[in-house]
Amino acid sequence: MNKATYSLAESIKLLPVNIRNSVIRRGGGSEDQERASVVFGNLFLHLHPVRVHLNTLRLGYTLGLGLISFYLLVILIISGILLMFYYIPSIDMAYNSMLDLEFAVSFGVVLRNMHRWAAHAMVAFVFFHMCRVFYTASYKSPREFNWVVGVCLLLLTLFLSFTGYLLPWDQLAFWAITVGTNIVTYVPWIGDELRYLMLGGTEVGQMALLRFYVLHIAVLPMVMAALVGVHFWRIRKDGGLSRPLDN
Amino acid sequence: MQASEKEELFPKGSDKTYSLMGIVEGEPLQVERGPDNMVMTYPHLVVRELLLFLVVFIVILGVSMVFNAPLEEPANALHSTNPAKAPWYFVGIQELVSYSAFLGGIVAPGVIVLSLLLLPYLDRNPRGVGVWFSGTRKFGIVMFSLFVIVMIVLILIGEFLRGPNWNIYWPWL
Repeated sequence: MNKATYSLAESIKLLPVNIRNSVIRRGGGSEDQERASVVFGNLFLHLHPVRVHLNTLRLGYTLGLGLISFYLLVILIISGILLMFYYIPSIDMAYNSMLDLEFAVSFGVVLRNMHRWAAHAMVAFVFFHMCRVFYTASYKSPREFNWVVGVCLLLLTLFLSFTGYLLPWDQLAFWAITVGTNIVTYVPWIGDELRYLMLGGTEVGQMALLRFYVLHIAVLPMVMAALVGVHFWRIRKDGGLSRPLDN
Repeated sequence: MQASEKEELFPKGSDKTYSLMGIVEGEPLQVERGPDNMVMTYPHLVVRELLLFLVVFIVILGVSMVFNAPLEEPANALHSTNPAKAPWYFVGIQELVSYSAFLGGIVAPGVIVLSLLLLPYLDRNPRGVGVWFSGTRKFGIVMFSLFVIVMIVLILIGEFLRGPNWNIYWPWL
């Protein structure tokens, strides 16, 4: 080996190339091999196969509903984390946090609006996605289990939205949760106990706000993230998106 | 030596109707279309996915600039709103509860969730996969559509036609 190759001057000269090559693994090779390595060499893209069926690209087939639901979740996680910097889960401070977001925090009102509207949209789009999967018979073998995971994700979405509904601590939130949790009391035998477990008391108060907050920002999002991972992974394992038989 | 190796790689069989004539550099006949209608995920799928994210983000941002999220007076446990409505996606259930608390609030949601979970194990007919509204599964499509329409109608009634004391009121009167 030539000593000059390892000189400091040479290393500095090659710094950008070497850093780039250490981050991005590219095997080189033909154009298709390069394109393949973009997908399987990237943590975030590797859930994709290197090649997909043309039917997967048809917007008229999927309408993009599942992906839209996922993107809304991404927007919700990012805007939700930002909101956590301003929100205090106490019955004395929660409503003031809302007023702060509206009048004191730069773009706070847009941040809260995005979180609110994306949440409503996500409930709707997850439901639309379920309708698409039903009407294209995509739940049939071998994708039965992924449908079950999807139903769990719909329930999680509803529960996430419901727990978030209480957090502004305004009249709308308070009475919606009061009405919503009253339905639980109609469960035979353990109805009242279930409601007590949800609210941490007999009525919507400080304990209920704290429980809903912890569920909303920690417990349910973690379960959601894990199940979304399973849902995507199963698409791949079940042979990609459903499609009609090739002729 | 080399000739015998070639023999082994491409044996001459009486039942073989094709043979390898040579390998040529160049584009395949189906440019940008692999065998079985497969295409490269990058760029075809990845670019579309990123475009969709831009669209979703811009729409949400646009709506959030124009419409403010609702915020009413601070919560007051002593002064109930009338009517007190659940979030819109549960208003359909609340409407059912107004007819019968146990049947509407527990049995109906339970049956809906259970049937959704069991659906792929109850419908074992493999036909119609990958086709919108396939004519081979009319019964299932009618049943599911009924469920969707009933849910939407219940939500619309609960959200827009129910006034104080959960009485019917017509928004245009």
